[in-house]
Amino acid sequence: MSAAGTVVSGVLEQLERRQPKMVLTVDGYQLAVTNLDKVMWPGAGRSRPLTKRDLLRYLTRVSPWLLPHLAGRPIFTTRYPDGVNGKSFYQKHWEKPPEYARTVRIYSSHREGDGEYLICDNLPTLLFLAQMGGLELHPWFSRVDPAPDARGHGVTFSGSEANLEKSVLNYPDFVIFDLDPYLYSGKEGKGEEPELHRKAFKRTRELALRLHEMLGRLGLEIFVKTSGRTGLHLYLPIVRKFDYDAARSIAETIGRYVLQQWPKEVTLEWSVPRRTGKIFFDYNQNSRGKSLASIFCPRRHPMGTVSMPVTWDQLEKIYPTDFTIHTVPGVLEENGDPWAKVLSSKQDLDALLQRQSA
Amino acid sequence: MARAIWSGSISFGMVSIPVKLFGATESKDISFNLLHATCGTRLQQRRWCPTDEVDVPWNETARGYEYAKGQYVVLTDEDFERLPLPSKHTIELTSFVEEKEIDPVFYERSYYLEPAERAEKPYALLLKALEKRNLTAIATITIRKKEQLCALRAHEGTIMLETLFYPDEIREERGMELGAIKVSDRELEMAFTLIDIFRKPFEPSEYHDHYREALAELIEAKLEGKQVVKAPAARDNRVIDLADALKRSVEAAKKEAAKPKPPARARTRATRPARRPRKVG
Repeated sequence: MSAAGTVVSGVLEQLERRQPKMVLTVDGYQLAVTNLDKVMWPGAGRSRPLTKRDLLRYLTRVSPWLLPHLAGRPIFTTRYPDGVNGKSFYQKHWEKPPEYARTVRIYSSHREGDGEYLICDNLPTLLFLAQMGGLELHPWFSRVDPAPDARGHGVTFSGSEANLEKSVLNYPDFVIFDLDPYLYSGKEGKGEEPELHRKAFKRTRELALRLHEMLGRLGLEIFVKTSGRTGLHLYLPIVRKFDYDAARSIAETIGRYVLQQWPKEVTLEWSVPRRTGKIFFDYNQNSRGKSLASIFCPRRHPMGTVSMPVTWDQLEKIYPTDFTIHTVPGVLEENGDPWAKVLSSKQDLDALLQRQSA
Repeated sequence: MARAIWSGSISFGMVSIPVKLFGATESKDISFNLLHATCGTRLQQRRWCPTDEVDVPWNETARGYEYAKGQYVVLTDEDFERLPLPSKHTIELTSFVEEKEIDPVFYERSYYLEPAERAEKPYALLLKALEKRNLTAIATITIRKKEQLCALRAHEGTIMLETLFYPDEIREERGMELGAIKVSDRELEMAFTLIDIFRKPFEPSEYHDHYREALAELIEAKLEGKQVVKAPAARDNRVIDLADALKRSVEAAKKEAAKPKPPARARTRATRPARRPRKVG
């Protein structure tokens, strides 16, 4: 068994002990975990409630696949200290990050000063976030490490907005699209968000497939994952030549094209009433400091659904609730991560488009 | 010329002169539309009834005067019609005064009066008379349901109408008492000297709104740099070729990257969308 495998099985063994709290030894670090039997997800239908222990187990098991996707990325988290039905808050800064966590000082125009941001690239940090009730992980689309495709960009992120803009953190790895169906089942209460249902997901999937085909004709390979809730997240990995503003304008160009092609199906509208009955094609998250729920990230669905990467062939057969913190570790152990190559599949948009015209 | 904002007649003694009223001044302030910062859509103003939770159409609105906190007396259109406003379509001249009798604090807005068709003769007569006697006429006029005091004066071959504040609209309290402060002759001499240095004829054309000019330049620069927030509703109906559009997008991005950037502050505020209001996906 590999070293990482030993660490994983060591933590899983400790979590088997039935105590409600304990001090975990994770890769040589001590980490106190509490309220292990607290229900985080109430469950739905035949699925049983899921506890904090289930969350810690899940994250430990998927960590070999999850951590590489978080490497070098400042991370925000949505904390649900009392489970997904309790109140939640979005946490960006940590005043006292634990010793084993990698941190980075980044200038925040909002704070008008530097702040300490967490980077989650080891298991203790991941479990620390879970202990804090941080179910949802929101990593940046850019990361602090310039190698291999962003050498030459700055690595000073603090002091001023200008420093940050010159830095590699201003150059995202992906152009992303969030397909968010505003297709109501009719069973939602007044003012509630649309719930997940078969018809809505089918339409969302069809839009994603068409987009995949369309970009494929331009030689662009796009990756898809379930959002873990109602929609789909699409990632186009790019060579880091373009800053966020450029990525957003590229995304907007694609958004406008998609709207033009399928005006009855797609909306770019910001107003919720005007989105109703359509799929919101959200390109606005292509912005520094913005993020989507991470790959393998558990979501606020009663069953503990997870944002799951799939291949385009699989997309035709799956449904978002197939992937929960129960099922995903098994799927990964059996099939591996369909996004394992996402960062080595980077596309040089510039060169590709030049070739188109040639 | 712009559209007349009012038409009626000047009434004075037995004479009636049909005239039209035009605004003489315009604010050149650059105005902004309020957008939703996250998406660039222009915000709409809604007449929202929090009780019935509906948007209220104009024909369901009424005008209420709040006589005590939360207590209203409602006035209808008929109520307004019944109000005594004799000067509704007339400018009733009531007296003639010397211009210097009117303190500038009273002046509110300036309008040009133009004679209506076939009224040129009596108009010219009144203008001449005001010029020769060097007098200003005091009158009342009702513009947009509001009766206003006004002054008519001759100005470069036109009769100008200046609306005036009523005396009770001028604030009296000034909260400053300077009577007790002693000023010596020498100090006064010094002040006179300073004033004499800066004394010159008033040339309005020498004065510019520097802020507005700077603002216009900033807007121009943003347009040049393509840092423009496009409203999502502004659909381009031409069929675009995605490869071409992307190429243009990429070229624009490369050009943008090659350029020295304007101060980060101003730029991020305008172009970067904030966090979306409600996250569903």
